[in-house]
Amino acid sequence: MVNSNWEIIHIPGKPSYPPTQQPTVSVFASVIDPKLANTLVRKLNNIAPLENLRHVKRVRKSCVDGKTQLSVILCLTDENGTDLDSMAIDLLELTTCYQLSPFVTQVCKYAAITKEEWEEQGKLWPTSFHPPTYNIDGITGFSEEDSKVVFDYMNFVLKLAKSAGCQLVNAAVIVDPSVNQIITSACDEISSWNVNLDDNEVRSLGTNEASISHSVANGSSSSMFNLDGSPDDPQASCSRISCLNPWQLPPPSSSTSCFWHPLRHAAMVAIEYSASRDRRLYPSMGETDERSIQLDSNGTSTVGFPAKRQKTNLPNVNNTDDPPADRVLSKSERPYLCTGYDIYLAWEPCAMCAMALVHQRVRRIFYAFPNPNAGALGSVYRLQGEKSLNHHYAVFQVKLHDEESMAVTNDGIVK
Amino acid sequence: MGSIESEDSCSTSAFMELAIQEAKNALERLEVPVGCVIVENKKVIASGSNRTNETRNATRHAEMEAIDSLLQQWQQDGLSQSDLAKRFSKCVLYVTCEPCIMCAAALSYVGIKEVYYGCANDKFGGCGSILSLHNTSSEYSNLVEGKGYKCTGGILASEAVSLFQTFYERGNPKAPKPHRTVVQS
Ligand SMILES: [Zn+2]
Ligand SMILES: [Zn+2]
Repeated sequence: MVNSNWEIIHIPGKPSYPPTQQPTVSVFASVIDPKLANTLVRKLNNIAPLENLRHVKRVRKSCVDGKTQLSVILCLTDENGTDLDSMAIDLLELTTCYQLSPFVTQVCKYAAITKEEWEEQGKLWPTSFHPPTYNIDGITGFSEEDSKVVFDYMNFVLKLAKSAGCQLVNAAVIVDPSVNQIITSACDEISSWNVNLDDNEVRSLGTNEASISHSVANGSSSSMFNLDGSPDDPQASCSRISCLNPWQLPPPSSSTSCFWHPLRHAAMVAIEYSASRDRRLYPSMGETDERSIQLDSNGTSTVGFPAKRQKTNLPNVNNTDDPPADRVLSKSERPYLCTGYDIYLAWEPCAMCAMALVHQRVRRIFYAFPNPNAGALGSVYRLQGEKSLNHHYAVFQVKLHDEESMAVTNDGIVK
Repeated sequence: MGSIESEDSCSTSAFMELAIQEAKNALERLEVPVGCVIVENKKVIASGSNRTNETRNATRHAEMEAIDSLLQQWQQDGLSQSDLAKRFSKCVLYVTCEPCIMCAAALSYVGIKEVYYGCANDKFGGCGSILSLHNTSSEYSNLVEGKGYKCTGGILASEAVSLFQTFYERGNPKAPKPHRTVVQS
């Protein structure tokens, strides 16, 4: 099988370490009189909340010489040393007032994801364990059939990434996995942004890209790239891949009809296409209008297809949009933003794109190559692990294990 | 010297007032009320407000709207790429809410000079609250070679917050029924 060398790897919300080697941070702690525990904890939570260590318990109960002993965390030590003077004034006052004798100890930096990790953490200092609530189906393994679908879409997106000729670009494909259908696809438009495009033109642009690539969508695309995402073809250049070099000015373009738009990264463009498709498919969505919507003869729809569409139709955006003529859509069938959709990207997205995908409520992200310069899903930042965000997607790297590529130099992506 | 400082802070809040006016426009259109203006040489050259509901594109934040309108304006004027970059490096953004991670990154990519914001964005903020994308000397500086910009918060923050309160009391009409969306800026 063509894709037998590929592997789908879950990229979790925090770096993964063996349970016994979890990263730790230093804190000041002190043994306290159990009678003072409530008072002290209340005061400490007030003046020195453990903002980034919410999984760490403030108080540790231990047994020393048959007697119960309580210790409490005062605060993090400062970066450079464990000098008591580095504590905040009000903490120092509290220490003096209650005659505490601070000592330095270690606590685990990240919340435990597994029970095994949690048990190891407790050996240092007790933590609480809340298995992640934002787990999404599919994290724990892909069936052979599911994997095949993932590889096919990834193949498709890698072809798009190469479709601009010798300049590699980032590419994105948004998919509705429930009906196995491409919602839209896009490439970087940093140097080809056309200010005069209206919705329809934008649409046909997206469609054309998809159709062009359709003709080559049946082979493996992995041979075009080395293991690290550098192109096989030494003539091909990575310098214009949006998310890899977001601060770099592209070389001036020769054509006057070309515009520079530093923010038109593939994922941003794909989100825009999918939003404009949504407006086109569901034109009137008044707040109080609960009627179902009758599509006109040109109307298009994503719903109501037989659940298993064959992969050969996959990139043909023109056809997949055509619903049965008498199809009636109810408002409830319209997805909210990209809820439930997956996106495939050639390269790990930058912070802008990764956050845009949070905003647009994408369900899963698959990328082929990491982005060591500016990647926000594991390489530099790790947005999928930022608990404060209101939406969490699952992130996967679809890794190429091409034996021929193993010999390739490992000097980074940008050449 | 004192008089120069007070003149500066006076113009800072004057520009923020304009951003708040933009946010009010958004509120009237049933959008999350965030607005901004971009200022070059003490003149407002672009403005924007949230259009996420109207476009069904949750990335159409005020900052993105303003940046897009500037790019469009400048390119129609025939400015070259390097001219554009030069112009952005003279621009100051006034926005009613701390830019989110997406916008904070975008502002660094276009190379903006400076940002003033109203209230902090505890859930999504990219200028100090969650990440510090404006700050090239952050803990990631050895990895990220990006352009930093100066960023100051707390300008007319209470006015920005009260707009959000008005909005959430009404409820976000486009959000899925069971839960409301939180601040999207
Ligand atoms: Zn990007
Ligand atoms: Zn934003």
